Amino acid sequence: MSRTPRRARTGRALLAAGAVAVLTAGLAACGGDSLEKSGGGGGSAKPGEGSLVIGSASFTESKVLAEIYAGLLKDAGYSVSIKTVDARELYEPALEKGEIDVVPEYAATLAEFLNKKQNGKDAPPVASADAGATVKALRKLAEPRGLKVLDPGRAVDQNAFAVTKEFAEKHQLKTLSDLGKSKERIKLAAGDECPERPFCQPGLEKTYGIDVTGIDPLEVGSTQAKQAVKQGKDQLLLTTTTDATLEQFGLVLLEDDKKLQNSDNVLPVVNAKKAGSQKITDALAKLTRVLTTEDLTELNKKVDARRLKPADVAAGYLKDKGLLTK
Amino acid sequence: MAERSCLVDNDWICGEYLSSRGQELVDATLQHIGITLASVAIGLLVAFPLALLARARRSVRGPVLGLTTVFYAIPSLAMFSLLVPVLGLSVSVVVTGLVLYSLTILVRNILAGLAAVPEEAREAARGMGYGLVRLLFGVELPLALPALMAGLRIATVSTVSLTTIGAIIGYGGLGNLVLSGLRSYFKAQVLTASVLCVLLAVVADLVLLLVQRLLTPWTRTRRKRAPRAGAAKSPAGQAVA
Repeated sequence: MSRTPRRARTGRALLAAGAVAVLTAGLAACGGDSLEKSGGGGGSAKPGEGSLVIGSASFTESKVLAEIYAGLLKDAGYSVSIKTVDARELYEPALEKGEIDVVPEYAATLAEFLNKKQNGKDAPPVASADAGATVKALRKLAEPRGLKVLDPGRAVDQNAFAVTKEFAEKHQLKTLSDLGKSKERIKLAAGDECPERPFCQPGLEKTYGIDVTGIDPLEVGSTQAKQAVKQGKDQLLLTTTTDATLEQFGLVLLEDDKKLQNSDNVLPVVNAKKAGSQKITDALAKLTRVLTTEDLTELNKKVDARRLKPADVAAGYLKDKGLLTK
Repeated sequence: MAERSCLVDNDWICGEYLSSRGQELVDATLQHIGITLASVAIGLLVAFPLALLARARRSVRGPVLGLTTVFYAIPSLAMFSLLVPVLGLSVSVVVTGLVLYSLTILVRNILAGLAAVPEEAREAARGMGYGLVRLLFGVELPLALPALMAGLRIATVSTVSLTTIGAIIGYGGLGNLVLSGLRSYFKAQVLTASVLCVLLAVVADLVLLLVQRLLTPWTRTRRKRAPRAGAAKSPAGQAVA
């Protein structure tokens, strides 16, 4: 058997190459496995009847609301999973396609998002401070896209402006009107779209007579924006009414006493085909009936200040309000 | 609940964070490892034939190298966002993106490794009647292994760090924790997840280094008992072939 030695040699080399191949293939396989388990469901597994994917954005309030929705729908007999997606630009198309079935949303923000998507960047605004009209406009935009907008409740998380406690005390500020009267020159930490949004720079200038000298484009309510205001680099912060981290930065909200802000009522938006049933509507309506803006702030505070887990906070809320039947 | 805890104080380093979020960290780490392994493995399986093709045909070489380099230049946020409409909100978006990123490193290194194989070694193998396939797997690939493994190590480490961007669609492993920690100003979470991510990259690099040493014993100079010494002597025994 004169071939054996050559075979053995090539064999060793082949073994090495084979080992790499087998290793990679094997690893790919177990990689796939662990992904199925930890990927948060959905994905390739076809959600059958009675299983729902709830979408959540990556900020605290959205996470807690998604967990509360999950609790209510589970209680109604559905199997649920939560998918966290960073931005509306990514999850809204998924909601239309039915990759995601239910999302906690904000009336005015979503209405404007769809308005822009539908009618172009410079479309005239459809949302306003009138909650009823805003939701009506939202439904008109959402329905042709296969989205069903459920009824809004009292809870509102809309844009709001904050200053440091010292600044408020020094100039005796309680409302945005006070800030306008103070004649202070204001640099505003906000999103870079602020100069074009009626509720932002134009509104502050026209409605409140605030002297806005410039915008620091640091995103709405971001940590960087809060730090900039805290350090005095900027004077005014654009954030939201239920922001629970303001205290940590020594910031206080100024009241929107002339109702400049759009009505951003919290409401569930669902994929009409996959989650448009009355049963789902009824299950989620339980929350809509009881949830208030104060509740939202409190829920956010539990996660952002006391650092409890969103799932635990949601479970606690459902229990406290007696929203579960089982 | 504790009145004064490092969680409430929002400290960078917090034992309570580790104890209360252990499961979360384990899940995120497993997801991170899974995505990285799948991406690098698929990347290698795609890069190898591409490299062979590029080597065999000059006309293919330019486009392959050019295209994979273009992929590499696409910003990762844009890459994942662009893949979402095609692949949906699934883990395949992240894996596909990472595979595309790994290609340029892997293809170039495999090519460099193959190009560095001494012509004499090829000649000898051909003289011994080696066909193309056996020449490739029996002679060229083993000799190209050090360069290939070097590429694999770079690709793996860069994949570990790029995986975090997958957090924008919820499949970013430890990146999910970093992103949500940044959004809610949760220092312990940001730091812990980042440190784990760095550790993961270091461990992956060391493991691959170990694999490389095991696969290429002849590169260590200590004992020159290299298999190729045998190869040089053997033709005598090959007469039958």
